Amino acid sequence: MEILTGNELMSGATVYLDREGRWVEELQHARVFNNDEVEARDAAIAATKKTLRVVSLEIETVTLSDGAIYPDRIRERIRAEGPTAPRFDRQHLDEDGHVSI
Amino acid sequence: MYRYDEFDAAFVKERTAQFSDQVARRLTGELNEDQFRPLRLMNGLYLQLHAYMLRIAVPYGTMNSKQMHMLAHIARTYDRGYGHFTTRQNIQFNWPKLRDIPKILEDLASVEMHAIQTSGNCIRNITTDQFAGATADEIIDPRPVAEILRQWSSLHPEFSYLPRKFKIAMTGSPTDRAAIRFHDIGLQATTSALGEIGWQVWVGGGLGRTPMIGKMISGFVPHEHLLAYLESILRVYNRYGRRDNKYKARIKILVHEEGIDSIRQQVDEEFAQVKGGVLHLPQDELDRIGKYFVEPAYELVNETRVDVAREKILNPLYGRWLEHNLHGHRQPGYVSVTISLKPIGGAPGDATDAQIDVVADLAERYSHDELRVTHEQNLVLPHVKITDLPAVYARLVEHGLAEGNAGQITDMICCPGLDFCALANARSIPLAQEISRKFGSPERQAEIGDLKIKISGCINACGHHHVAHIGILGVEKKGTELYQITVGGDATEQAAIGDILGHGFIAEDVPAAIERLVDAYIARRQSPSEPFIDAFRRIGKEPFKEALYGNA
Repeated sequence: MEILTGNELMSGATVYLDREGRWVEELQHARVFNNDEVEARDAAIAATKKTLRVVSLEIETVTLSDGAIYPDRIRERIRAEGPTAPRFDRQHLDEDGHVSI
Repeated sequence: MYRYDEFDAAFVKERTAQFSDQVARRLTGELNEDQFRPLRLMNGLYLQLHAYMLRIAVPYGTMNSKQMHMLAHIARTYDRGYGHFTTRQNIQFNWPKLRDIPKILEDLASVEMHAIQTSGNCIRNITTDQFAGATADEIIDPRPVAEILRQWSSLHPEFSYLPRKFKIAMTGSPTDRAAIRFHDIGLQATTSALGEIGWQVWVGGGLGRTPMIGKMISGFVPHEHLLAYLESILRVYNRYGRRDNKYKARIKILVHEEGIDSIRQQVDEEFAQVKGGVLHLPQDELDRIGKYFVEPAYELVNETRVDVAREKILNPLYGRWLEHNLHGHRQPGYVSVTISLKPIGGAPGDATDAQIDVVADLAERYSHDELRVTHEQNLVLPHVKITDLPAVYARLVEHGLAEGNAGQITDMICCPGLDFCALANARSIPLAQEISRKFGSPERQAEIGDLKIKISGCINACGHHHVAHIGILGVEKKGTELYQITVGGDATEQAAIGDILGHGFIAEDVPAAIERLVDAYIARRQSPSEPFIDAFRRIGKEPFKEALYGNA
């Protein structure tokens, strides 16, 4: 299973594509693409690129555990939560930082 | 300190205006990310894991109080109230927003600073000894030459797209505190048989995935020909350095594959063409630049030595700080003070905006308005009167900056690691914090003596782990952070690359593993005055390997 993630242009904040086609801060709201949804995933990537507003766009593999999304890579788990040491809140979107496809 | 001339001011202003326009065009969508990315990197703006990161150049690690106050202002106004000092004597801000970058660059330009050439395949910030111009053991103050190299390398059109990034370090002292043998070019001041002062030139050193100790390409280059000689090296590298594989593109690979004799011959051929031309550096120009670095107006001070033993009895923490954080000054009655950015359990190299302001104030009041950033991620007040030490210490204590651990086991170099860096494979900072806490007691540190631990969160080695007495390299294996341990590296004139001792450890087991190495050293040293690195050279790695892995 996969999700799409990137960084919003103005704030640099970590964002995820949700089921409504919005790029949001919450990992748990991310749309999970099953292995048979490659076309939908690639269409979402193409549409996102057209917005020019999400950079470092990446496909990340995840595991579902009790309905929760769990990224396979440590890197992605840290991206979702913010730095562990020194502990800082993750970067947030500005009011005009919301992007949809 | 050097002051910008009209050319410097003009090019920084022009570049700031250009980049402001580029940011505006990116925000309106006129530029896409593929077009914008190289432009932002040329101006020190990276995109890391959580946000943008702006890397600001501190030329040869030297600043005045006004510049330092500006960094505090940037931390407070545009970031999250702190900055991170780096192993290249620069500072990084981890949370700026894209639309604020033009304002930050304008603020920097107002105090003669910028972020140009802190990224990209160009000549990066020239680094040097943090005690330059102050230390008692110096042949020559390297800062005027460092400044000339800064001017030569800034926006050098021929070297804007080198095969890979290029780092130059220099020292005016025979004691290498700038790790010059691990840079693309290392310069060491030396004296010729005729008593003339010039430069020994080392080339092809580096860390990263292929660590190499630099090789001497010339035993003596006079000041007047130094620019021409360096230009010749850069031309040979620019012509023959590999561009097909970024992992083999640094000059160290070219020197290794071609051999130093072949490279020397080609450089000499180029030098014969360039020498005496436009890059000839006349003595009057060197003198003109040198005037910016004249010695401060020192006072004659009656008190010329610090009675550390007495102070250790009266106030052990102050005594400990005096013992470790002072460096001998050429002027009687003065010392250089290292301000440790390694509080026990803290993030190495981080300073809050309030702390940055305090250090700026101290520099202005007690250090002739000068301060330095060290490649070991600390700060230095280079010219402090011995009689002012109690007042300086008291102010540092008030602001959590008085850790007396310079050169001790808790004074670690540590890269940002996977908590911040997009390239990292494993976290570094939490590990540094755990090791710091484990060895944090003054008594334990005193027992261990001088020992340098350096931690990198990936093979790019920003944490200089290869040249640590005990090095730690973070890797990721099957979704787990693992840490390889090396022993026996040395960044000084006795340059050495550490040996990997065996398989890696999970993070929780690393502090205990370090303790086994430390205990093995203490058990085998000839006396408490034999430092770790000397003991390692005498007994080799086997006792340390056994301490980590047993006899199996």
